[in-house]
Amino acid sequence: MKPASPPAPPDVLRTQALQQRPALAVAYPQIFAPSPWRRLLTLAIIAGALGLMIFAVWQLDFSWSRIWGGIGKLGDFVTHMFPPSYGNEARLVLYLKALGETLAIAFLGTLLAAIFAFPMGFLAASNVVANRLVHILSRRFLDSIRAVDTLIWALIWINVVGLGPFAGVLAIMTSDFGAFGKLFSEALENLDRKAGEGVTSSGGNALHRIRFALIPQVIPIFFSQVLYYFESNTRSATIIGIVGAGGIGSVLSERIRENEWPEVAFLVLLILLIVAIIDQVSSRLRLSFIGQRNVTFS
Amino acid sequence: MLVIDKVTKRYGGKAAVDNASLEIPHGQFVGVIGRSGAGKSTLLRMINRLQEPSEGRILHDGRDITALSGQALRDWRQSCAMIFQQFNLVDRLDVLTNVLVGRLNHVPALRALARMWSQDDLAIAMSALDQFDIAPLASQRADSLSGGQQQRVAIARALVQEPQFLLADEPIASLDPRNTRIVMDALLRINRHYGITVLCNLHSLDLARTYCDRLVGMAQGRIVFDDVPQALTQHVARELYGLEADDVMDSPVTPEGSAAELPDAVTA
Repeated sequence: MKPASPPAPPDVLRTQALQQRPALAVAYPQIFAPSPWRRLLTLAIIAGALGLMIFAVWQLDFSWSRIWGGIGKLGDFVTHMFPPSYGNEARLVLYLKALGETLAIAFLGTLLAAIFAFPMGFLAASNVVANRLVHILSRRFLDSIRAVDTLIWALIWINVVGLGPFAGVLAIMTSDFGAFGKLFSEALENLDRKAGEGVTSSGGNALHRIRFALIPQVIPIFFSQVLYYFESNTRSATIIGIVGAGGIGSVLSERIRENEWPEVAFLVLLILLIVAIIDQVSSRLRLSFIGQRNVTFS
Repeated sequence: MLVIDKVTKRYGGKAAVDNASLEIPHGQFVGVIGRSGAGKSTLLRMINRLQEPSEGRILHDGRDITALSGQALRDWRQSCAMIFQQFNLVDRLDVLTNVLVGRLNHVPALRALARMWSQDDLAIAMSALDQFDIAPLASQRADSLSGGQQQRVAIARALVQEPQFLLADEPIASLDPRNTRIVMDALLRINRHYGITVLCNLHSLDLARTYCDRLVGMAQGRIVFDDVPQALTQHVARELYGLEADDVMDSPVTPEGSAAELPDAVTA
């Protein structure tokens, strides 16, 4: 029986390494004396960003005194808002209907955007459509749609189809079509190539590869992204309501104009509540659908 | 001396490790064998406290390490380095930084976060890489390396922790035969040269017989064998592995160098 070796002096490795240090420093100069440029570059970028920020603050006439002066007014609003109230029964019914309308706008807009973006995502993914021209054109197309904000799309659609929720649905659909197209195509491009190789190697064609290798991998990611957008669109639908695209935003902007602060407070709380509920429900749904795996959003 | 004292780990109703007791003196090269799902990984991971035992204690030189928390726990983890089947490197970082991760518990937090490594730490990391012939790859991204090279980076990371124990969880399961030998030789070298106690989960009986001083056999979470490799008869192997026994006992692999370097046995 061999006696167990004595406990290692913990610094054998360290002593050895320190003895070797001069020789190692000669053998690997770039590691022991790295060029200072990289670090300088990092510092320069940070300094540049900081400078830009200061310049922007100065240019945009940023003023602490006006913030302090305004804070008092903010306090006034809060006192006017308290206690929140829904006015009368008829108005409560109106508000709840408007809330339902907002949810419907968000739901329908997101769903339609996802349906239209689904094929577009494949078209714009370089590992699905190998043709560079198709790839570039579809990418630029999605980019230009995305360049216009939901609010601007709402103003455009209001002029096309008139005031009301229909314009809201179209606005969310258009802007999210651009976003989903890009997200879907990037999700496709980040997929594991091995599954696709397996299908191709057994004689499958391009459509087989998409159906059996790509879609099963990508569906949970798409689903999760769509749910996340539904959440955020509930908020967007409120905002576009303010410019006249229907829903609770329209009612909210009316009440603000009429200085009905208790009712404004009630509406804000209502929106908060519904957004929190959707947030909870959708994160439950996401988890149950995709399991515990992490999903990235871009 | 590392003492595992009646340790049990339950997932739901099922015991992954069932009332396991083991005493490991310093300096041994212990192979933990058994079929997949026998509880080998869970046992190793509980020693590093990556998983918490449901019952029982683990003692190191009389100190209860299952009760550690905070800095004391981090110090313990630093002293029992782990290497993994899938290497567990940060793919997007270069090899050198991956190895320096093993120094984190030795370096002041702010210096480490700013990645301002001292020349001594660099020397320790490079010297560890140099031992496994991969120092020239130091500034490459970890994911650009082959599996065998990545596992050597992981061993270097473990080594610069200046550990007393090395816990290797199926370190060669994703490697080809040549790299299997390189990695097992590296573990043997760490054990013999630095006197670091090695606990290594292995699926292959032949590797276990070739490299280990002592074999611990697990089946269904229980320790069913604990003796020198010579005592592992066909009969015991069949008990451990069932029908798989013939699969895990072919293709002998010999370590580098002469048979004279081979470890003498240590009785349990």
